[in-house]
Order: sequence, then C-alpha cells, then structure tokens
Amino acid sequence: MAANFWESTQRRYWQFTKDELANIRQALVDADPNLVQSFPLPQQRHLNLYLTQQVNRLGKRLAIRQQPLATAQVYLKRFYLRVEIRRTNPYLFIATAVYLACKMEECPQHIRLVVQEARSLWPSEFIGQDISKLGECEFFLISEMSSQLIIHQPYRTLTTLQSDFELTQDEIMLAWTIINDHYITDLPLLYPPHTIALTAMLLAIVLRPANTPGNSGGQNAGPVVTAQGAAGGLAMAANAFQAQAQARAAAVAAAAMSGGGGNSGPGTPVMTPQASFSGFSPTTENPTEIKKAPDARYAKAQRFAAWLAESNVDLEAMIDCAQELISFYECHEQYNEKMTKEAISRFIKARGLDK
Amino acid sequence: MHNHHQQYHASAPTFPLSSLFPALSASASASTSTSTSSGDFFQIPGGFNLSMNQARNARAEVSYQQQQQQQQQQQHSQHAYSSGIGPIAYQSKVRVTDKYKVIGFISSGTYGRVYKALGRHGQPGEFAIKKFKPDKEGEQVTYTGISQSAVREMALCSELQHPNVIRLVEIILEDKCIFMVFEYAEHDLLQIIHHHTQQPRHPIPPNTIKSIMFQLLNGCQYLHTNWVLHRDLKPANIMVTSSGEVKIGDLGLARLFYKPLHSLFSGDKVVVTIWYRAPELLLGSRHYTPAIDMWAVGCIFAELLSLRPIFKGEEAKMDSKKTVPFQRNQMQKIVDIMGLPTKDRWPLLTAMPEYSQLATLQQPLGSNHSAHHGHHGYHNPHHRPAPNAATASVSHLEKWYYNTINQQISASAAANGAVSLSCLDKEGYSLLAGLLEYDPEKRLTAAQALEHPFFKTGDQISANCFAGCKMEYPHRRVSQDDNDIRTAGSLPGTKRTFTQVSQSYGGDDHLHGRKRVKE
Repeated sequence: MAANFWESTQRRYWQFTKDELANIRQALVDADPNLVQSFPLPQQRHLNLYLTQQVNRLGKRLAIRQQPLATAQVYLKRFYLRVEIRRTNPYLFIATAVYLACKMEECPQHIRLVVQEARSLWPSEFIGQDISKLGECEFFLISEMSSQLIIHQPYRTLTTLQSDFELTQDEIMLAWTIINDHYITDLPLLYPPHTIALTAMLLAIVLRPANTPGNSGGQNAGPVVTAQGAAGGLAMAANAFQAQAQARAAAVAAAAMSGGGGNSGPGTPVMTPQASFSGFSPTTENPTEIKKAPDARYAKAQRFAAWLAESNVDLEAMIDCAQELISFYECHEQYNEKMTKEAISRFIKARGLDK
Repeated sequence: MHNHHQQYHASAPTFPLSSLFPALSASASASTSTSTSSGDFFQIPGGFNLSMNQARNARAEVSYQQQQQQQQQQQHSQHAYSSGIGPIAYQSKVRVTDKYKVIGFISSGTYGRVYKALGRHGQPGEFAIKKFKPDKEGEQVTYTGISQSAVREMALCSELQHPNVIRLVEIILEDKCIFMVFEYAEHDLLQIIHHHTQQPRHPIPPNTIKSIMFQLLNGCQYLHTNWVLHRDLKPANIMVTSSGEVKIGDLGLARLFYKPLHSLFSGDKVVVTIWYRAPELLLGSRHYTPAIDMWAVGCIFAELLSLRPIFKGEEAKMDSKKTVPFQRNQMQKIVDIMGLPTKDRWPLLTAMPEYSQLATLQQPLGSNHSAHHGHHGYHNPHHRPAPNAATASVSHLEKWYYNTINQQISASAAANGAVSLSCLDKEGYSLLAGLLEYDPEKRLTAAQALEHPFFKTGDQISANCFAGCKMEYPHRRVSQDDNDIRTAGSLPGTKRTFTQVSQSYGGDDHLHGRKRVKE
C-alpha cells in the first residue's frame, strides 16, 4: 500500500526480472514484426534517454519538480511494456504522463497549459491544440497501467537515511542525481526503490562529488562519461562491495556458528562481487583515486557497508544496480540525440501519428 | 521555498561521473554539442491528417443491446485499420455491459451515478458501479482530462486492501466514462441512523455502536498508517454490508499526505462536509493531520448515539472563488456544546488564521439551555450576555452525553426490544471526549482509540455489527427507472427525487457542490 512497498501494486505487478522484461518486449516485436522492422530505433537505453530528456524539457517549461517527473517516467516505462512505441506518438504520451503524474503527485497542471507547452516544444511532432487527444491518451495510459498510479520512489529512502549515514550535502546531491539518472534505465522496473536509493548512496559515498559542483555543460548538458571514468567508479564500487561482502559473509558465518543458521532465507544472494568486477579491480586501473580518499570518507563507506551487512538488503541486487548504472553511463557515449529524434519522427510521420 | 529546492528539480539528468573526475573535462565540451543539437529538431514538416478519434464519434450512445452487433463490426474495422497504418483510437478491452448486468440505480450526484449490478460470468456477489459523468462540451461528450478527485480515488482504491475499507473490484475506462466497480454494501450509516429515527424512535443497540466504532476506527488506522487522509468521513460514506462489516467508502477526497510538495490547504481549499469538519479546519489551518478524520469519527459516534448530527451548522457559501469564508455558524454549534477553545486547552490556538473570529462568537448556551442543542437557527449576538472567559470555555459535552444515553425509551420501542445506551457509561464519554478534543495534537489517534477501555468493557466486540440484532434493517433502495448505465450519465439533471432520508440530509451538498444523495 501507499506506505508499504511490499504490499504495493508496484511490487506485486510492476517489478520484473530481466528475462521477463526481455520476453515482454520480444512479444511486442513478435506481435507486429513488420512494423518494428520498417522503423528501426536505437537501442533501448538510448531511446529511454531520449524520452527522459523530453520529459525533463517539458517539466522545465512547466516548472514541475523532480518527483512528479520521476513518476511520469515510470508511467511511460510501464506503458511501453504494454504498447509498442511505434504505435504511438511518444510526444503525446510524454505530455500525458506528465499531466497525469502531476495530478497524482498533488501538483496538478491545467490540461490546456500542458498541451500548449508541448506544442511549442515539439511543434512538428505533437498533435494540434485539441485537448481531447491528451484526454484520450490519459484513458489509454491509465487503462494499460490498470489504474495502478501510485509510484514508490527512492527519494524517500534517501531523505530518510541521509542523516543516519551523515552524508554531506554534496553526497546527498550526488545520490539524488544518481537516482534521477536511474529513471533512464530499466532499474525502476527491476528493483525496489530502497535498493536503488542505497545503491545511489553507496556510489555517492565512494565516488565523492568533485570540488566543482555541476558539470560545465549546464542544465541541459547531455550526460558525459568515459570508459576510464566509469572504470574508476566501478573499481571503487567493487572495492566497497568487497569490503561489505566480507562483512556480510562474516556476519552470516557468525550467525551460522551461533547455531541459528535458518536465517539465510530464500534468495539469499551468493556473493560474487569479485567475479562481477574482476575486470575492474582497483589494481588494474585507476587505483589512485581510492588511495587518495580521505580516511574519514573511507570510514564512512565502511560504516555504510557494515550497516548493509547487518541489513536484509539484497546485496546482489545492489551490485546489479551499480553495474547497470555504470554501464549506462558508459553506453551513453554512443548516444546520438539527433538520430534518436529522427528515428522517432520517421514513424510518427509515416503513420500519421501527429494528427 | 522553490528556489531552495531548485537544485533537486527538474533539470536535465546530471551525470555525476563527469563532474567527479577532472580528467573528463574534455568530454564536457561534447555535452555542449549534444545539447545544442536539440535545436535542429523542430524543422520537420507537418504530415498526415489521420484522427485518433476516427470511428469513435460515430458511435451513438444508444443502449448496448441495440448496438452490440454494429459495434462489433466497428471494432473489427478499427482493428484492421490500426494494424495497418495510422493511429490507434483508445478502446477499452473490457465492456461494462459485457461483464455486468445492471439491476438498478442507487444514487446520483455531481460526480456521476451509482448502479447496482450482478456479474454476467458468475462473479460471486453483488456490485456497486460508480460511473463518473463524462464532461460535455456542447452536445458532444469529449475527453477533457480526468478530475483530480477521480484520479485519487482510482489510484487509492487500486492500492488499498483492508476489511474495513470498501473493496474495488476493477476499473473500466470505456467510451469517455470511468466505471469503478466496487463490492456492494447493503447499508450505510446514514440509512441505519435514519431507520432508528422512525417511530417509535429507538436507539441503535449499544453493541452495534461498539462494533461499528471499532471497525470504523480500524479502517481509519489502516488509512492513516498508509499515509492516506480520507477527508470526507460522514455517515453516508460509511458502508455496512449485510453481514455487518463496516467499510469506509468514497475516497474521492482522500489523498496521500506523506511529505506533500505543497501544503494540503493549497490543494483543496475546503475539505470535509461542514457538520464533520474539525475546528482546526474551521479556523483556517493550512496544515492538518489525520486528526481531522478523528474529529469526524467523533461526530459520527455522537450521531450514532443521538441519531442526529451533533454540530448541525449552516454553511456560509463562498463569496468568491479565492476567499474561503469563516464558518461562523458551524463554529458556533461546536462552541455551544464544547465551550470556547482556550490557549490552555489548545496551545497553538492563537496561531490559527481565523483565531480572531472566535471573539465574535457568542457565549455558549448555559445550563438553562437544553443540552439538546442544535435546532435553532442563526443566533443573534445581542440576545446573549457578553462572553465571560471563565464560563465560556466550560464544556457541556458530558452533560450532552449523559442526557443522550440516559434518554427514556418509549414503551412501544421497549416492546420492540429497544435497549438503553446507558450501559455505555463513562467509557463512552471518555472516548467521545477524546475524539472531540479541540487540540488536534491531543485528540485520540485511530490507534489510541482502538485501545480505549470503551472497547474492553462489556461484551466482546463482534466483527458483525448486527450480531444479536433481532430485526433486519431495510435494504438499500434500488430504483428501476434508470437501468441503462451506458446512456444515463449523459442525460444532465436527471436527478432522482429525494426520499425522506435524503431530505433530512438535504443540506448535504456542502462540499465542492458535491451532491451526496443516498437512498
């Protein structure tokens, strides 16, 4: 329910394994292979990135805060698991998702205003002034989501726990931006929000914000990362995970020794952090960052790891989240916004979805 | 306030790694090129002219049976159309009339209409289908965006699962209308109270009251622990099934209150039907808590005891859209029984926006006045002595309570088995006073109220509020005049004539002009 993620519809109906997601998407392709082949699209992550950028552009115009925008992004992700994107005008559904999310997050925007801003943002792709199109899409969106509109977001975990771990303002900001970024990936469909939040906090602690806040590209800067940077981040994450996994292993061992033993319930992860991150061990690449780390920060990371070891948090899921985020940052290098936009415009125009 | 949070706002995704490693500064220039490239995107010329609405508007709103065949043909043609080239018009995968057989009309209001229905495919039980009225522009029904109230109700009902909260079966979005299918409840508290006012007037059995209150509080506790405020608790919205289960219904004004982005007041200027509205709301509080629901529960408890609203004020209408008037008459009704609130009883009282208005109220009626409050019209301030701080703040609730529970039962009612409420005794008063506490911080929470001795003395609480009742309450009235769920919503002004029940609550139209006519 609203306060209880474990009983929520998000947990019961909208959390998938990677295989399930792949199968669902394959089924959409199989339903109309001609359509999919006629209009090739960039890889899913690039498509997601493009959609996210458009959601944020509209959100900025309407001065909407991050939380409703995050909800809108989840709506879009759910919707496009049910409906092949090439059957829709994505700009129309972006506007609809934002409009609906604002109502759900108690900061409603007038439908006319949303349509007006969407039209000026995407003058050639968006539909006309007719608000009834947006209204119709709202029915479509809600129906495909089975009216399950309450979204649990990682921000809540972050704000709850940030003081427990004495995160600095910079670390909180960094964790916050990592959470923002995770909405570009499939992670909201794969893992519970607290897993995402803890991963973001861990990454924020081990990655340490740079001295100069914000990147030079400004607000609308595209994401930037290099393999080198990702590897460095990954290495540090791996390091923290190793320490933490050892703590966990020690804790599990201690529990087993004390005779209980039954506490490692189903799904207790088999820890393989070394295997997962073997290519990026601190000794192979970019080892200096972690060594330069001030002791205080290292202690903070260790304290966080110790807390994780004692918690029931799914560590394997956290590792996977971290990998997913980092590989997303890497894959972003190949992203071409213009090509993505053109690929979308092609099917919108050819199928007359802009009218 | 906004600026303070600006950094967390809707800026484009920031990619932290780039800012972490100075070595990446070279790639920062790459980012500028990505962002500028977005400028080229607007040049694509306009294209085709296919309507998403094609074929839809052609469909006349005629009864399902007549149109079934034709629609199937339309669906086929639409399907063929959409699998080729062009847009897809929204089409519900489930049709209300395919799945449910409407057997009667229950009630209507500005939100729409409620029907009673049975499943066509052997779904067990009966159903209440709430149809939200579609908006109309001229004669044509169009999509204008779903009201926030409907969005809240749909989202919350889809999520909530508790034996004391009405159960949603499904939601069907079809033909520009929203159909919310609920489990059917044979009774509601308004009906039950009304039944007891029928001659000979006889009190609701004490064990029934206890069970109703326990179940109601249990549902409230569930809502509140899940960060849901109901904001419209009143007898008409509390359903009771034929097996005596109490179900909180109508979540049209309910909302989540976990760390709201804006103050609750800014979202909805007026909440809770006037007679059940908590003093902090009447005094203009911008921020409020689940305690507002608990005040309403206190009012409902009093009404179960006395069979009439305890604070039956008259609502001052909004003079303009922007300003919410001070509800002087309603506040006066509360003060008449509870005494004037004081800083001692309610430390934050002086911080209330409408605090100064309290001085303009009249001194509560003294002991010479019957504790049977409430049926006089507006008070004239000149007819009463000036308020005296010492006596003005004295509460007459205890007196009201004992007068109520010790009322003589008429011989004819006694012959029908009516039982006195006097066994509810001091525990009943203590619970009532705890719920009708001026200071919202001191008011009982749902969890505290459930632990109250009231529920621990006397017979064990039954999960069936009718347990031990000899008589049966009359069933919900279901009319046959308007059985066509598909067309009826589009006929404006087809309100059913009020029955006696609704007339006695005829003023029940206080909130957002929402008519709540229950039959």
